[in-house]
Amino acid sequence: MLISSLKIKNFRNYSDFKIKFNPEGALILGENGIGKTNLLESISYFAFGKSFQTSRDLELINFSKAFFRIEAEFIIQNKSYSFEAASDRSKKIIKINNLNIARISELYKHLKVVYFSPNDIEIIAGSPVFRRSFIDQAISQYSFEYIEALRIYKRILKQRNALFKANYSTKEKRAWDEQFAQVGTNIIKLRLKYLATFTPLLEKYYKKISGAREKLNADYKYSFPNDDEDIYDNLMDHLLRIEEQEKHQERSLAGPHLDDFDIFIDSHSARNFSSQGQKRSIAIAMRLVQTELIKEKDDDTPILMFDDVLADLDKMRTERIIEMLKGKHQIFIATPNVTNYRSFGLPEIDLKHELGKTSET
Amino acid sequence: MFNGFLEDLVNNLKKLPGIGSKTAQRLAIHLISKEKADAINLAESIKDAVQSYKHCSICNMLSETDPCLFCEDSTRMENVICVVENTQDAYLIENLHEFRGRYFVLNELLSPLDGIGPEEINFPKLERIINSGEINEIILALNPSAEGESTINFLASQFEVKNIKITRLSTGLPFGGDIEYTSSLTLSNAFKRRYSVTE
Ligand SMILES: [Zn+2]
Repeated sequence: MLISSLKIKNFRNYSDFKIKFNPEGALILGENGIGKTNLLESISYFAFGKSFQTSRDLELINFSKAFFRIEAEFIIQNKSYSFEAASDRSKKIIKINNLNIARISELYKHLKVVYFSPNDIEIIAGSPVFRRSFIDQAISQYSFEYIEALRIYKRILKQRNALFKANYSTKEKRAWDEQFAQVGTNIIKLRLKYLATFTPLLEKYYKKISGAREKLNADYKYSFPNDDEDIYDNLMDHLLRIEEQEKHQERSLAGPHLDDFDIFIDSHSARNFSSQGQKRSIAIAMRLVQTELIKEKDDDTPILMFDDVLADLDKMRTERIIEMLKGKHQIFIATPNVTNYRSFGLPEIDLKHELGKTSET
Repeated sequence: MFNGFLEDLVNNLKKLPGIGSKTAQRLAIHLISKEKADAINLAESIKDAVQSYKHCSICNMLSETDPCLFCEDSTRMENVICVVENTQDAYLIENLHEFRGRYFVLNELLSPLDGIGPEEINFPKLERIINSGEINEIILALNPSAEGESTINFLASQFEVKNIKITRLSTGLPFGGDIEYTSSLTLSNAFKRRYSVTE
């Protein structure tokens, strides 16, 4: 899949901007602060129904403006689609071929973008929030069942947390617990299934990038005592045991919204026992596996965005990665420094120049 | 441009489900500019319906009479009760001509976020009906949303000890779907293939 044109209005630093893209993608050049990330952010809005940086649309609206609007033409499985998104302070509207979509999840069905972020190192080094959001995004792009389960789980979680603020009967709590554990178990099973496919590929890609021979593994970490055998029963039992704590803290203290996973490198936790360079390579390998699995599932190639992430790798690693992907995906690389990438032969977009062009017309 | 009575009218129309600002303005202009007698009739019939309809004291259905026509109808089966969220869902099921038993309208689904617990879904009233001993099947015809599912779990757990058959609509209804937006064929299938909740 690929994007062929983009029009943005009142989005971040863009007041009125139009641009066309080539099927191979582009090197997006410009000094820091000129809006390279914002450009990638506007395109990927159509894949996630929100920004990759914030879930608050308000932050995306150009200072002092009332709304933003983005329009784009995409080609998916050789068919052309027009996408449109607009948001003001109170509501957002997203259209595909002029029809309003009912749920954000519909976007996940159509458009796949993998965004390699400079913050991706946090997936290895940071708090569990980063790993959960990685895995939730990756599986949502891979399985529609997962997005639906996640949506319903979030709703039940909200309801269950509200329950702890009220007076409730044992049977009322049980009614919510059963559903919470049921949908929660589905989510966990889909995550385990995804990780089982993911891990062998992770090692393969890590080797390709780094040339190293370390063994990589991923281990799912439950927020409740569990032996993988009967997740539902174990979660239900645990919910009974922690009722007083949950009541006291007025929120749900176990379930997939608090689970985590560990990456092991030669059986040491990558979080604690790997160098910055190793962490960076693992993070990129994870994005590449995310890409690979979308490809397998969809028989179409996601759009790839590298937001200045390759700059920290040595030239050899960068070249290995681009060689692997070039010609197969539409690739956008945002960078202040063209020299690292010129050899890849991607069309160059000089943002300063492009911004000047639009303001003249 | 909209002020006075017209502004009030637009604001009142906007409170209706599915009516946005633009539609409300168009409807308001239409009402005051075209056949005025039609608009007055509409106003009268809204008033009549609103004033004469209340919740049936037995089943909570919105009805002009109390008890409602369903509760009054002696040809309907006394031993099967179909629990629905609202009067509209009861009519949707009635129109399938699959069901000839009693209805019970909850009017709400369990939702701690909105402060809705067993009292608010009229559970005590339903419990009295079930305890009367006449009922031997409860059909839980609720939407498969988070709130609907929890309400099903809750009601099933309350009545499972009573040796009553408790069924729910088959999952022909999409998870997270809405009875109101389901085609009558799908709903009819979901109704026919209802299955036991308590095994
Ligand atoms: Zn009645």
